[in-house]
Amino acid sequence: MNQMTNVNPDSQSPMLRVDNLTHRVSVETDTLTILQGVTLEINRGESVAIVGRSGSGKTTLLGLLAGLDTPSEGTVELDGSVISKLSEDERAKLRAHRVGFVFQSFQLLPALTALENVMLPLELAGMASPEKRARELLERVGLGERLTHTPRQLSGGEQQRVAIARAFASEPLILFADEPTGNLDNRTGQAVSDLLMALNREQGTTLVMVTHDEHLAARCNRQFHIEAGVLSEPEAAQEMAH
Amino acid sequence: MAAAKKLMSVRRDWRERDVRVVLAALIIAVATVATIALFASQLQRTLVSSASSFLAADRQLEAENGRPIPDAWLQEAADQGLKTGRMVEFSTMVFGDENFQLVSVKAVSNEYPLRGDIEIQRNPTGTRELVNQGPGPGEVWINPRLLRLLDLEVGESLEVGNLNLTVSGLLIREPDGGFRLSALAPRVMMHVDDVAATGVIQEGSRVEYVYLFAGDEAALESYYQWLEPRLEPSHEWAGVRDGETFSRSLERAERFLLLGGSLAVLLAAVAVAVASRQYALSQRDTVALLKTLGLSGAGIGGLYLKRLALWGVTGIVGGLLVAMPLYWLLIHMLSQVLERPVEFQLDPSALVPALLTALVSLFAFAYPPVRRLRNVPAMRVLRSQPGETGREALPDMIIAIVAVFGLVWMYAGELALVVSLLGGLALLLGALGLVGWLLVATLRKVRGGGNAWRLALVGLYRHRRASLSQIAVFAMTLMLAATLILVRTSLLTDWQAQLPDDAPNHFLINIAPEAVEDVDSFWQERGQPLDKLYPMVRGRLTELNGQPVKETVSKDENVNALNRELNLTWMSALPDDNEIVEGAWFGENQKEGVSVEAELAGKLGLSLGDELTFTIGSEKVTEAVTSIRTVQWDSMKPNFYMAFPPEGGLTEMPATWITSFYLPKDKKDALNEFSRQFPTVSVLEIDHVIERIQEIVRQVTQAIEAILALILAAALVVMAAVVSATLQDRQREGALLRTLGGRQRLLVRSTMLEFALLGGFAGVLGVVAAEAAVWALQFRMFEGTFQWHWHVVLPIPIVSAVVLALFGRWQLRPVLSVSPMLLLRRLE
Ligand SMILES: Nc1ncnc2c1ncn2[C@@H]1O[C@H](COP(=O)(O)OP(=O)(O)O)[C@@H](O)[C@H]1O
Ligand SMILES: [Mg+2]
Repeated sequence: MNQMTNVNPDSQSPMLRVDNLTHRVSVETDTLTILQGVTLEINRGESVAIVGRSGSGKTTLLGLLAGLDTPSEGTVELDGSVISKLSEDERAKLRAHRVGFVFQSFQLLPALTALENVMLPLELAGMASPEKRARELLERVGLGERLTHTPRQLSGGEQQRVAIARAFASEPLILFADEPTGNLDNRTGQAVSDLLMALNREQGTTLVMVTHDEHLAARCNRQFHIEAGVLSEPEAAQEMAH
Repeated sequence: MAAAKKLMSVRRDWRERDVRVVLAALIIAVATVATIALFASQLQRTLVSSASSFLAADRQLEAENGRPIPDAWLQEAADQGLKTGRMVEFSTMVFGDENFQLVSVKAVSNEYPLRGDIEIQRNPTGTRELVNQGPGPGEVWINPRLLRLLDLEVGESLEVGNLNLTVSGLLIREPDGGFRLSALAPRVMMHVDDVAATGVIQEGSRVEYVYLFAGDEAALESYYQWLEPRLEPSHEWAGVRDGETFSRSLERAERFLLLGGSLAVLLAAVAVAVASRQYALSQRDTVALLKTLGLSGAGIGGLYLKRLALWGVTGIVGGLLVAMPLYWLLIHMLSQVLERPVEFQLDPSALVPALLTALVSLFAFAYPPVRRLRNVPAMRVLRSQPGETGREALPDMIIAIVAVFGLVWMYAGELALVVSLLGGLALLLGALGLVGWLLVATLRKVRGGGNAWRLALVGLYRHRRASLSQIAVFAMTLMLAATLILVRTSLLTDWQAQLPDDAPNHFLINIAPEAVEDVDSFWQERGQPLDKLYPMVRGRLTELNGQPVKETVSKDENVNALNRELNLTWMSALPDDNEIVEGAWFGENQKEGVSVEAELAGKLGLSLGDELTFTIGSEKVTEAVTSIRTVQWDSMKPNFYMAFPPEGGLTEMPATWITSFYLPKDKKDALNEFSRQFPTVSVLEIDHVIERIQEIVRQVTQAIEAILALILAAALVVMAAVVSATLQDRQREGALLRTLGGRQRLLVRSTMLEFALLGGFAGVLGVVAAEAAVWALQFRMFEGTFQWHWHVVLPIPIVSAVVLALFGRWQLRPVLSVSPMLLLRRLE
């Protein structure tokens, strides 16, 4: 399988290792510390929720973990590669093959159909028969009849299902989700999170999910809390995980 | 890569507003530049050939010594691949049934005319037709006036010397009838082979043998090399340059076209720049997503580069497709003016500027913002990132300005044009900086409220960045449009001034000194007063500072004035349209000196004080140059290379008098009476020529207007591009205002006011900058005198204010018609 080539030979190493991560941004004359001394390790196949209030730094942390941005201090090691040592293009390549994303605002390309949106990352990663794979995934998320519809013709929940299909299509090792149900009503959100968890189990993907939805968080193996840029793992959750 | 490919397809692109603007701008640029360049190159060729038709050939050789040239000379011309023709010109009496009349005969060979056409009528009421051969042996064509003068009808016979010739046509216009003062009217045209049989030409008769040559320039040149050593002083070799009296007007038209094209390029470049920047901004989210999904920076760059190339191809192909019918239309117009078919010829070299324009617009204007897309951070997919500050765009702008002005320079070939336009733009941007500063300083304190004016001002302040850049682009656009309108206006005014409806259309030549008064009163009585009368002495410039002039003037300067007799005159006052450029005009009682026409003085390298010797008949006259003056050759009045003071060097010389005057069509019969009363005075009728020039000017004006329309269309595209750039922001604001309880009317009023202020501001700035640019341009390019044209450009700020206000109103439409709730959702 294609996926095999992507697996680090040292498959016993954690999927994600974060050491003393600090992130600052400069705002006009001030520097703002958004994240401070974040340290965590996530093993392969684990599902992890990061919970916190709006503005606590969740999105920033997720971006750093996924290599979309580089931290001011500290290291992020994703599947054995230290992200801050990679060039932007190397990080892009890493993402193409091993990382999937689900966003709060879906982020589908409005010009493409559902099918094409799912095919896009497969094509970018240079995978074989992208169309066949994309069809399978869309059928799996229950949108087999909506292949040729564009995002505008789909409801929010349907769009997020397309996004989930897209995220799992390239069989990533790790999936990052930023408030995947944040823009959806309760029931739709429930359906979407069911789908997300199910696919995650089926594919054995490592899942890192940011949410302020306690129910969704509770369905993950581990939970972290973040407040004012400081990450902590409550005892109870830790025990549950072990 | 089906999905990725689709993402980049032009067909999909076309659905995006910004791409449409880029493509439209490119197409308009290519179309305008291609049309103008094609037409200008065609016009150039046509000008040369219509100038040639003034000679009925490319070159003429005149023998004024009354003897034909050796046959070997013609043989040599034929051997060198030139076409040749012959004519003989002489004056004689012809006889009708009862009357007789002095006429000027032109006897032509079968080849005449080598260039141009003869216009004739088969009978007095028939239609005019163009033919390219003179009358056959035994036939004669005559000036229509002769019918009346001689009581003749077409088909009857005319006695020329010993020969009876049948009148088979009426001569309306001969191609080389133009401005040759030696031509004697009325004209009779016959076949050259009949001349001997008439017995009119005797030893010592005044007769001119004229030979026509046509062929390619190299062959003509090499023939002249061969011929020159064999020529005698009485031989005169003339090229087209002498016939271009009226082509000057058209040269200016051509420059106008080039200017128009340059401005079109500038406008299109601005449109491309604005639209592609807008496009790039709108692509940032897509790029961030693609990066997140794993596309590398190089991959992004490649994707957009491919797309740009597709735009380029689309722009070029589309532009050329639009250019063809336009060019065809202009050619059609031109051929109507010239009354002969003009070839639809695609000069490939004329397409080069269009291609360059497309490439430069693409790579200097569209590419930079698109190239920067690869720097969009992937993180944007999670949270919108600080946008561009505009500082990154600065080097791009410099490159773009250099590129586009380089393009204009290459294209119009006028540094003056580039400098004028740049100066105008610099002025404009300086003024804009000031306005921006004032805007910030004064509007900061204005607070919103229930008042439309306040809201408008607050709006301007809140959008000051966008407002300023919009004003900049509008002002630039309006400046370029205003420049064009101004130049067009002054061009047309100049032409009208130069060729008013009552421009002189007849010359009277060869008036004996003692007849001057009678001639003058003849026309005075008939209500057609003569312009000023000038004495005229024919003489040749033979020595310069005591040296034979042919030796002192360098060989490569082919100075035609030296090859033939010049018209010399004397006068006390400088004609109104002449201007002294060096030295001083003759003083009150001055009797020495000569005033030389500036262009000739330049060619001969004359300066004040140089001694000129003229040979007049067997006499020699030597005078020092006391002034150099410019002459309006296209004024249709007698003009002279050399002017002496009254009672100066020429007084003893045999002079005849010359004048020009305006004679309306319906009074032409008076010419018959005049010819009867003054048989020795020659009447040169140039009314047909003038009519033609006026017609050409009219048509060229139309062409100019068409181009102007094209360019204003380009300007509109620019404006649309700029305004639509802020469309979404404004709609969102409007929706918010309504949600917060703003009344519709207030919203409409304040928005319209804001846009009106914007448009008015930009209009005023643009007009001022345009006046400055035109002021600079006029001196260098159009030789005009500068006038302020407030009345012409005043409407521009007003129109732009109104148009923008309406545009703003139009933009608000969706905001007003839908519930605010729905709107906010849709605009999310
Ligand atoms: N580039 C930035 N510039 C300024 N402030 C930022 C930037 N990125 C994040 N922040 C600030 O950092 C804080 C954390 O943001 P974010 O990670 O989006 O929080 P969350 O996702 O938990 O709501 C917020 O207060 C946000 O305004
Ligand atoms: Mg967030």
